[in-house]
Amino acid sequence: MSQNVLSATTASAAGKRTRERRRLSERPLIWLLPLALLLFVSYVYPAIDVIRYSFTNATLLNPEFDYTSASYRAVTGNPDLPGILWVTFVFVVASVVLQLTLGLLVAMALHRGVRRGLPGVSVVRVIILSAWIVPGVAGGIVWQLMFNEASYGFLNALLRTVGLSPVAWLSDPHMAVWSAVIANVWRGTAFSMILLYAGLLVIPKSLYEAAAVDGATALKQFWYITLPQLRPIMLINTILISIFTLNTFDLILPLTGGGPGRATEVLALYAYNTVFRNFDLSNGAVLAVLLLLISIAFTFFYVRLLPKET
Amino acid sequence: MSAVRRTRFADVGTYVAYVAICLFFAGPLLWLISLSIRTAAEIYVSDIRIWPNNPTIENYAAALNNPLFPTYLWNGLKLAVAGAVGAMLFATPAAYALSRFRFRHRNLAMIGLLAFQMISPLVIMVPLYRYMDRLGLTDSHAGAIMIYIAIAAPLFTWMLKGFLDGIPQSLEDAAMIDGCTRFGAFMRVVLPLSLPGLTSAFVLNAILGWSQFIIPFILISKPRLLPIAVGIFNFQGTYNQTSTQILAAASVISIVPAVFVFLVLQRFIIGALMAGAVKG
Repeated sequence: MSQNVLSATTASAAGKRTRERRRLSERPLIWLLPLALLLFVSYVYPAIDVIRYSFTNATLLNPEFDYTSASYRAVTGNPDLPGILWVTFVFVVASVVLQLTLGLLVAMALHRGVRRGLPGVSVVRVIILSAWIVPGVAGGIVWQLMFNEASYGFLNALLRTVGLSPVAWLSDPHMAVWSAVIANVWRGTAFSMILLYAGLLVIPKSLYEAAAVDGATALKQFWYITLPQLRPIMLINTILISIFTLNTFDLILPLTGGGPGRATEVLALYAYNTVFRNFDLSNGAVLAVLLLLISIAFTFFYVRLLPKET
Repeated sequence: MSAVRRTRFADVGTYVAYVAICLFFAGPLLWLISLSIRTAAEIYVSDIRIWPNNPTIENYAAALNNPLFPTYLWNGLKLAVAGAVGAMLFATPAAYALSRFRFRHRNLAMIGLLAFQMISPLVIMVPLYRYMDRLGLTDSHAGAIMIYIAIAAPLFTWMLKGFLDGIPQSLEDAAMIDGCTRFGAFMRVVLPLSLPGLTSAFVLNAILGWSQFIIPFILISKPRLLPIAVGIFNFQGTYNQTSTQILAAASVISIVPAVFVFLVLQRFIIGALMAGAVKG
């Protein structure tokens, strides 16, 4: 009897536990909690801490610090800052414009090839994707070897072969930033291509058929159908690759190291150098806050462009 | 011009574009390979010859014989895989909740994930370096892996959520009516069906981990703990111009695993990436 009671209570306790577990598993929070905690610990709290550090005089080596806003004055008053921001601006804008243009051309060429069933399309696709998946550091080394001004640099050897004078790709401060742009476009175009290709796939064929009936030329079809239809995905693309380019760091370091002088020292690299080379935590934190604000602004635009979920 | 001829003409134009595209995108990699199979003497030959006169694989042997290089490769693999496995553990339940539950602020949560992806790792590395230093986790793989996981988790969740959206909910509903708990249905029905999505997200994040530079560069200074991405960067610094061919060989070795794995699974990976990126 007592045994029965015992087993009955354990059974009902087990049943209760199962029910409880079932109720718990119906709560999204339980499923989201691990990720939420992870992101809080590794993103949210550090981001708040960066803002806190930016209002101090902390260095990387000395844990003691006082609160001050002198760091903001020091960073904004730094005569190097306008140059750094300008280089960053040129690097980002030129990369984005070229990646979008080239990505669109490549996507259209591939799209046409697939539609016509031309052989070799997949080979072209594989080649572009390979450039994208090459680790950033390796990409920087690859382009360092292309631009190198010693005799094994490919581009100058090419120029010499066709009888042109060599170019100071990496040692001329005005040229170096464009060399960095070329390397970055080489790596980043595939991403734009993937998005734009997907965009091309969903343009209704009937639009082109109707335009063809009306006698629109290919160029007009491109201008009045393709481009407007791709507009949303172009905007999203622009924002994403702007952020990626802004955060680019691993490609530039082996390519130019930020030089010659500070000709290719973009904001991310400058922030890195400030914190981890000069151990200047507070000024570096101000630059990190700047990077953070730019990212948040871009994210904000991105969110406004996303299609509303039904 | 007749329609047929115009189409032919456009086909030729398409192929011209393909040639230009291939030259620009494959050219640098071919040049890298070309340099990597040269003898030291042929590095300084100034005319462009993609295939050298005396091709050699010596440089690959030299790179692999460097006492640290195999360690770099192993560390790179270890960090990449551990980071992707960890990210999967955090991302899978979250992706499930975002795909299956309708709750307040769900869209906000998705947007939050995006926002995390847009934050430069450099920004969070500034304080994370200090925390890790205090915990004694700089110069350790454990510390690096934690950050790898955190950086991969948002993208992993985003990709997997897109994939889960494509799995009909009726299957789990049926399992739950038959007495499965939600967790049971998740384990027995959803996980097996999401294997392609899990694989894609895992592989892409592992490749990104293999390429990860900034975290180990900041966090790790002991050479024997460095992953390959930082390893070849150090190679570039230590090898002088007369051994460029060895640097090229080392770079090829660092690129091949990422490209190979990616190309084998490219259709799945891009499909999964698009599912997250375009649908939103």
